[in-house]
Amino acid sequence: MSAAKRVQQWATFARTWHVFDCKWQDPYQSANLIKKYLLGLHKPIYHPMNDCGDVVVCVNSRDIALRGDEWRKRAYFHHTGYPGGASWTLAWEVHNKDPTMIIKKAVYRAMKGNLQRRHTMQRLFIYPGEEIPDDVKQNVTNQIRQLRLVPTRLDHIPEEEVQKFPKVMDYPSDYVLK
Amino acid sequence: MSLLSTKAFSFLKNAVTSPYIRALSVTSKLNIKELREYKEGNKLIIEGVSLPSPRSELLVRAEKIPDLVPTKDSENSLCYLCKLDLDVKHTDVLILSQFVRSDGCMLPRRITGLCRMQQKKVGRMVTMAQKAGLLINLTPSFCKKDPKKRYGYKKFNTYYDEKTIFWKRIPNQNDRFKR
Repeated sequence: MSAAKRVQQWATFARTWHVFDCKWQDPYQSANLIKKYLLGLHKPIYHPMNDCGDVVVCVNSRDIALRGDEWRKRAYFHHTGYPGGASWTLAWEVHNKDPTMIIKKAVYRAMKGNLQRRHTMQRLFIYPGEEIPDDVKQNVTNQIRQLRLVPTRLDHIPEEEVQKFPKVMDYPSDYVLK
Repeated sequence: MSLLSTKAFSFLKNAVTSPYIRALSVTSKLNIKELREYKEGNKLIIEGVSLPSPRSELLVRAEKIPDLVPTKDSENSLCYLCKLDLDVKHTDVLILSQFVRSDGCMLPRRITGLCRMQQKKVGRMVTMAQKAGLLINLTPSFCKKDPKKRYGYKKFNTYYDEKTIFWKRIPNQNDRFKR
């Protein structure tokens, strides 16, 4: 085997570490994306019996965005097992308590419920902020593209640019500026 | 007599062709752009000064763009935003902020001059942008100027789907957790 072929062989079977920035991303949509990398579905050598899944590091999980009124409409169910032990927690309450839990549950539920699922979840790292521990950071070689564009706030755009931007609406001549 | 008839004709023509309905008015127009208040000795003087609009130079109109090919809908409409045929999203803050007062309130239709549909659409998108905290500097003075300091569920990021603006009833989301 030539040296180039040997390297290709290593590269094929090595685990790649991906970073995914969760800022302004819908966790339920991005879970379907993360799932593919965790299971190795993006690889041509994929087979369910083949342990070819990658590692995904999610950062900024505190800044995920839910659609519309889902923060106060989506409920997470838990049952203690005792009679009357059912509880429903709203998404924003869950996120207040643990900013990594929503994305973790989303990825967990996006995957098929088999014996492999819990082991696949071990390959998912979630961090609420931007900081990644150094021993994780040094392995990372790839970044997964975000699904949604991160919106810009108006006060973050410089004043000059706002003034210079082409205008669609003009005030009528008798309008009192407020 | 002839002068009067021409005046009346131009007046009516104005009322029909003008995009604004404001052409018909009983009182004389004020033509005020800015109110200035100052004191001179004992007297408080409030003055209305007519100023040129800062926007008219940067104004974009479909008639002025030579390459723009009008679609079927944009040809028939009288509204300037319909004619431009823009795909405005709630994240396009630079466009939405033009339709808004300095306290973040949407301007009424007699001032924006939009058609009924566009007025509703832009109004909803301004609300979406406000709720997402993108227009946080265009808010009343008592407002907390940091979206992350808002109360309860409001402090978390939210995004919206523009398709929901004209839906009569928003359908139940199919449960993504169910299999």
